[in-house]
Amino acid sequence: MKALAAAFAVLALAGCGSSGDGLDMRITLVVEDENIRAEGSECAGARPFQYVHAKAAYMLEDGGGDALVEDDLPAGRAVNADPSIDWGVERIPTYCVFELELDDVPRRPRYALRLARGSPLPFDASFVEGGEPVELTLR
Amino acid sequence: MAAALALGLVAAGCGGDDPVAGGAEDLPGPVPKGVTFAEPPASAVDAPDFAATLVDGTPVRASELWNDRPLVLVFTASWCETCADVHRTAARVVDEHEGVALLGVVPADDADAARDYADELDLGDPLAAADDEVWLDYAAREPPLVALVAPGGKILRGWPGGVEEAVLARELDALRG
Repeated sequence: MKALAAAFAVLALAGCGSSGDGLDMRITLVVEDENIRAEGSECAGARPFQYVHAKAAYMLEDGGGDALVEDDLPAGRAVNADPSIDWGVERIPTYCVFELELDDVPRRPRYALRLARGSPLPFDASFVEGGEPVELTLR
Repeated sequence: MAAALALGLVAAGCGGDDPVAGGAEDLPGPVPKGVTFAEPPASAVDAPDFAATLVDGTPVRASELWNDRPLVLVFTASWCETCADVHRTAARVVDEHEGVALLGVVPADDADAARDYADELDLGDPLAAADDEVWLDYAAREPPLVALVAPGGKILRGWPGGVEEAVLARELDALRG
């Protein structure tokens, strides 16, 4: 029995199996590029945010700059840049929004989303611990 | 022994002169005899000329393509999921209009992936990587964007997001001499 417990301890130390104490995280990345698009259409960041597009690499870092997750962005979706206005046409000023879902992210007090260019976008762990998406904005 | 060597060369990609989709082999030939085009409206503005590099490394200049024929520019990217359909549609219309040329343009940082994109589409038209400045000159803030340049280099229309087949066909029909 002791041997079995010891084996489990070794496996746990080795990181085998799911730790289960990581954080499932949703990030909504809003690129406020105000480009003219059909609402709901697939989009990428318009210039000068052309580096934000499907298949572009991103990294989630902890507060110390260590990489926790590396993945590629999905395609974005165009959302109305100003819902208070009835534009009356199909193609309207929009933002391009990317929805990221990250599973079992190691718990840290602070995180930052790093894209191919620009400064990392920082946020506190408290913003994502309730399961709600954290909204990060490029403008 | 010889067979093994040949197999090795094939595996290494050596000895093949296969044309690259979107490369120099896909540049248009001369405008066919008897095909003429109308003058663009006097009010049309000059299209910004630019240099770019085809996916096989061949340099290309836009003005050489639009010198004596209409040129359809398709600003696209390998990672853009809607661009391939827009590109295919434009290529189909251009195919139906003798003497018209099409040049696909990807961002400079997409040049490597663009080879696979060109391979997959296999449209028979050239595909080039161009610097940010070219995209800005054509107000191509985001792919896809289709632009129509008249013979001689006057820009006629631009369609952010793509253009319907019938609309592009109508524009090219209007350019017939």
